[in-house]
Amino acid sequence: MDVISVLTEIPGLLVATWVLLGLAIYAGYRQNWQLRSVAADGGYLSGLGFESEKPTGLFRWLTTVDHKDIGVLYVVFATGAALWGATDAMMIRTELFTAGTDVWSAETYNALFTTHGLTMLFFFVTPAFTGLANYFIPILVGADDMSFPRINAIAFWLLPPAFFLVRGGLITEVMGKMLASVGVHWELLFSLRPPTIGWTLYAPRSIIVTNPQVDLVLLGLHLSGLATIMASINIIVTIFTERDEGVTWANLDIFSWTLLTTSGIVLFAFPVLGSALLMLIADRNFGTTFFAVDGGGPILWQHLFWFFGHPEVYILVLPAFGLVSLILPKFAGRKLFGFKFIVYSTLAIGVLSFGVWAHHMFSTGMDPRLRASFMAVSLAIAIPSAVKTFNWMATLWGGNVRWATPQIFCVGGIMTFIVGGVTGVFLASIPVDLVLHDTYYVVGHFHFIVMGVITFAAFAASYYWFPLLTGRMFNRRLGRIHGYLSIVGVFVAFMPMILIGYGGLPRRSASYPGVFEALQQVSTFGAVIIGIGALIWLTNLVQSYRLGPIVTDADVWNLRESGQFSREWQWFETQLEERTKFRR
Amino acid sequence: MNRPLSAVAGGVTGIAVMTLLLLFLEVETRSNLAIFEAVARFAGMPGNVTLGFLLFLLAGVFAWPLAFMALEQYIPGGPDPATRGMVLAVALWVVFVLTGRGDLSGGLLAIYVIFTLLAHLCYGFLLGAVYGRLTSESPVEADRYDPTDVSQ
Repeated sequence: MDVISVLTEIPGLLVATWVLLGLAIYAGYRQNWQLRSVAADGGYLSGLGFESEKPTGLFRWLTTVDHKDIGVLYVVFATGAALWGATDAMMIRTELFTAGTDVWSAETYNALFTTHGLTMLFFFVTPAFTGLANYFIPILVGADDMSFPRINAIAFWLLPPAFFLVRGGLITEVMGKMLASVGVHWELLFSLRPPTIGWTLYAPRSIIVTNPQVDLVLLGLHLSGLATIMASINIIVTIFTERDEGVTWANLDIFSWTLLTTSGIVLFAFPVLGSALLMLIADRNFGTTFFAVDGGGPILWQHLFWFFGHPEVYILVLPAFGLVSLILPKFAGRKLFGFKFIVYSTLAIGVLSFGVWAHHMFSTGMDPRLRASFMAVSLAIAIPSAVKTFNWMATLWGGNVRWATPQIFCVGGIMTFIVGGVTGVFLASIPVDLVLHDTYYVVGHFHFIVMGVITFAAFAASYYWFPLLTGRMFNRRLGRIHGYLSIVGVFVAFMPMILIGYGGLPRRSASYPGVFEALQQVSTFGAVIIGIGALIWLTNLVQSYRLGPIVTDADVWNLRESGQFSREWQWFETQLEERTKFRR
Repeated sequence: MNRPLSAVAGGVTGIAVMTLLLLFLEVETRSNLAIFEAVARFAGMPGNVTLGFLLFLLAGVFAWPLAFMALEQYIPGGPDPATRGMVLAVALWVVFVLTGRGDLSGGLLAIYVIFTLLAHLCYGFLLGAVYGRLTSESPVEADRYDPTDVSQ
């Protein structure tokens, strides 16, 4: 009998208890059995206690209408959703490590990529950037708060229920399991199974599937759409009406410009999604035939979905571009090159984003003339994107570049965006798309953007503004390690997918031919690298929030010397002065 | 707050979050890991999930935190009690993985090992952090941040 099987025979609780008890007795003996009265660690209070009019504790966070608090709530919510979605991703990669269907069942696998997509797009990226917008836009434009503080709070508080509806099967099953663990079996709680229809919810499958959870998913997405629209209206009105006298359209900062454009896109795109979702719910439950073959047809769903879905891509990526444009110059020691043209390219993307949706449907047999026009617009949208990229490069050119953590993420984001963008240009071409449609190439392409530049920009912002948000500094060495790990991880994880796609492997299948196994394993290895980086990030930020060195000078990044001590840092400076005035 | 009570408070926080994480993991993996059967095995009640789980809770709320209180000084990773809590939790995790893994293998075993480690780290962190926060009587100021120091 080997050692492991001996161990499994003895309850671990018993082993652990005896070992700990023995150690505790020894420790007590060493200390002469005296309980110390003073904490040996000296205490770990935040050290930032200062007077405030806000209520304390949980009550503060549940009732707040302060844009800064709501921004923090958004960011915390988005982080939680991202970690959950990342769990899905790691489970997907576990299944794909081997060619057969041998870790999860095919149904579980389908549920995994569905919930991974929905979680990351609707509950991680959008809330993360909305949160940053909530916190910083009023400060950047010199407003006291958002225009509609209460709508702002409502917009946030719609998100948790929306998230729970979308992932509802999990919650009810958790409840079922909890009851089962004390001996009560309630079958109803187990009737909602995770949805397996893909994040695009394509008809007719999304109509035929009988799982009642799908209806909850649709309702949850609708609710999250309402929340997003409310937040966007708030951002637009705030930027239009609440600007300080000194803030004109000419000197409005780049982050506010991109968020303004993003919110404009939301205003036109999300109502279409909402309506389409309601039609789909009606098709499922009330026998309407909007998307049935004898009605509007499944293609109608694709048109409506992608009329929302492609602008959504830019809703996700424009704030990230805004963050890169904002942060990159600060560590290049130069002003953003071609500021005006970055704004124009943002607006151009905002308009063009509504003219490209059918490039998702080249292989559905649409009229060739229609296809060609969508190909032309899809290729054209590469131009404003390239304008941004070249302007970022020109900003770095001849600059005094400092490789602080936010800068590593910005430059890494540009790298991944170039790969993701160029692979996208190929996909926009109809003949290439017909070959590569629905293969891993597509997955690799958009992950270079969503995991690359979008998440990188969010990481960059989390580091760049960390001192401002918490009054403490993070561990810069860990930050740099996270930065380099992430860049390597993204290339190792998603470059093999491009190659697998060239090999012609369709996406969304739990098993695949053995020839792709080596590349899939490389990809899984890359995902693990990204995961380790994310854990380093989480540990760094949590521990730095508790114990990091306290910031006393607002010019954390030496921005004064290059004349870029911008509004939010000036605001932070006055905050620091008030804090020291009131510090207990 | 007095030290044993603080330790128990840390244990309650830690075990609540850990239980939630394990439940989510169990449901997320469509019960393939059989986490609570593993918990029952760990607690010496193979097959009896309810009683095993109860023992697991009691150990997490009382046994580990009180042992942590007594051992804190000797656990490496100080002076931050949260780091020390995580070290203790890793030790507990080793036993849990060895006794609880059942007949898992391959990809499932990898998922089981990684995610139970994360759950244990959360438990240890919360145990130590709450304990440290409740027992501290003389908060020390942390270092000041010096932007010119790039050695970090």
